[in-house]
Amino acid sequence: MQRLTLILAALLALPACSSLGVEPWERDVLAKEEMQLVTDPVEAGLDDHIYFSKEASSGGRGFGGGGCGCN
Amino acid sequence: MANYKTKDVAAALAAATCSLLGSAPIAPVLAQEDPGWDFNTALLYYGESDSRVEDVSLNFLARRTFVDDRALTLSLAVDTLTGATPGGALPMNTVQTFTSPSGNATYDVAGGAVPLDNTFLDTRYALTAAWQQPLGRLYTGSAGIGFSKEYDYTHAGVNFNLSRDFNKRNTTVSAGIAFSSDELDPVGGAPIPLSSMLDVGDTSNKRGNDSKDVLDLLLGVTQVINQNLLLQLNYSYSDASGYLNDPYKFLSVVDGVTGDTITRTPVGSGASHEFRFESRPEQRTKHSLYAQAKAWLGGRVLDLSYRYMTDDWGIDSHTLEARFKMPFGERQYLEPHLRFYTQNEADFYQSSLVSGQPLPQFASSDYRLGKFDAVTAGIKYGWETASGNDLSFRLEYYQQDGKIPAGQIIGNQASRELYPGLSAVILGVSYRFGG
Repeated sequence: MQRLTLILAALLALPACSSLGVEPWERDVLAKEEMQLVTDPVEAGLDDHIYFSKEASSGGRGFGGGGCGCN
Repeated sequence: MANYKTKDVAAALAAATCSLLGSAPIAPVLAQEDPGWDFNTALLYYGESDSRVEDVSLNFLARRTFVDDRALTLSLAVDTLTGATPGGALPMNTVQTFTSPSGNATYDVAGGAVPLDNTFLDTRYALTAAWQQPLGRLYTGSAGIGFSKEYDYTHAGVNFNLSRDFNKRNTTVSAGIAFSSDELDPVGGAPIPLSSMLDVGDTSNKRGNDSKDVLDLLLGVTQVINQNLLLQLNYSYSDASGYLNDPYKFLSVVDGVTGDTITRTPVGSGASHEFRFESRPEQRTKHSLYAQAKAWLGGRVLDLSYRYMTDDWGIDSHTLEARFKMPFGERQYLEPHLRFYTQNEADFYQSSLVSGQPLPQFASSDYRLGKFDAVTAGIKYGWETASGNDLSFRLEYYQQDGKIPAGQIIGNQASRELYPGLSAVILGVSYRFGG
């Protein structure tokens, strides 16, 4: 029952997505470079490479990395 | 009368202007970039303590933006790796001799030390190219290729991504697919899984090249919450098949009571103890959930992300990461970075094999498949020039602390430091400039 309530709540929340967000003229902050999801692709790639080589996990933000014999 | 007419025309013009503005394409999240080149260069040093792995990496990325938001991205990376890496054997109180991967030589490890293979040396070249463009008013497509080459490893991959904007471009849904095909050509050949380390000159336990294929799928939703907050949620699936072993990793074969590694007498020169090469399944499926929030806090920017990963090797991991960009002075900033990572061990992780017991189908003592926690703490200092170029320096410290499951520690092993552990320093310089 609790699970059903949760699913119902999630479904009811879905249309709320369309009321989220901003008007086109309100995007001054969101358009800034530092507000992009990946601000420095080279640094992100280097970090992915380090952690892919030293840990059992990879990917998430983008594709799983790899292309390296280090793991 | 003439006056009225003029008024009507003005009103009509105003109405026409309004309707044009109203139906004009809505600006995407990222403002349209000016056509031209942008460059991103970085030099990175990664150095582990105790003379383990050192990597110097030189990176270059060029992005050419054309009108209508079409863009070409090219990247090149060169990595030089040196140092020693744990082979997977347990430490002993006495000297241990190992046959090197080439099968042509041996190396010794002192009593009490975690056995490291110091024959590790490599240079890696990696190239990528990607093309991105709008497809109609609401779709964006991209396609990319990647290639990398190491002494013993070659990678080739392709990827495609399609995204669609909804809800005044406040919601973006994207789907991607990537496929890679990798060739391994290990020094001395790929060992037969669970075969014994042999004497110098005996390569009967090695076979030639091998390969693996990886398929990745990615589904993502990006949602603008308000003027200062952006969220992303991704699900990714990865399926790897083929040769998934590390050809340079092996396990000690130990006595079931004392826990000491079984000695052997080489004919000529060769391994002084019993070691067997690892065996991993030939297939691995991973699922990840990734959530990221980007928040503008009155000029400061908080980047917070969390990833949960689970795979069919029995590994679950959690990664929590935060960056906080704080501007100060005239166009300068500081950005602290914290990352916490934890994983449990693979089902087939074993610190050693017990002599006289039947061999398991799969076994690996690779510390990266073991149970451990890791922390990264770092800080970046950056300076933006008046023309928008960005020079930054970062210093980070990475540490892993792991544990061998208590049930796997046998006899004398309890008094030895079994887990290799890892601490490393990361130093980076990055310069971004427009053409």
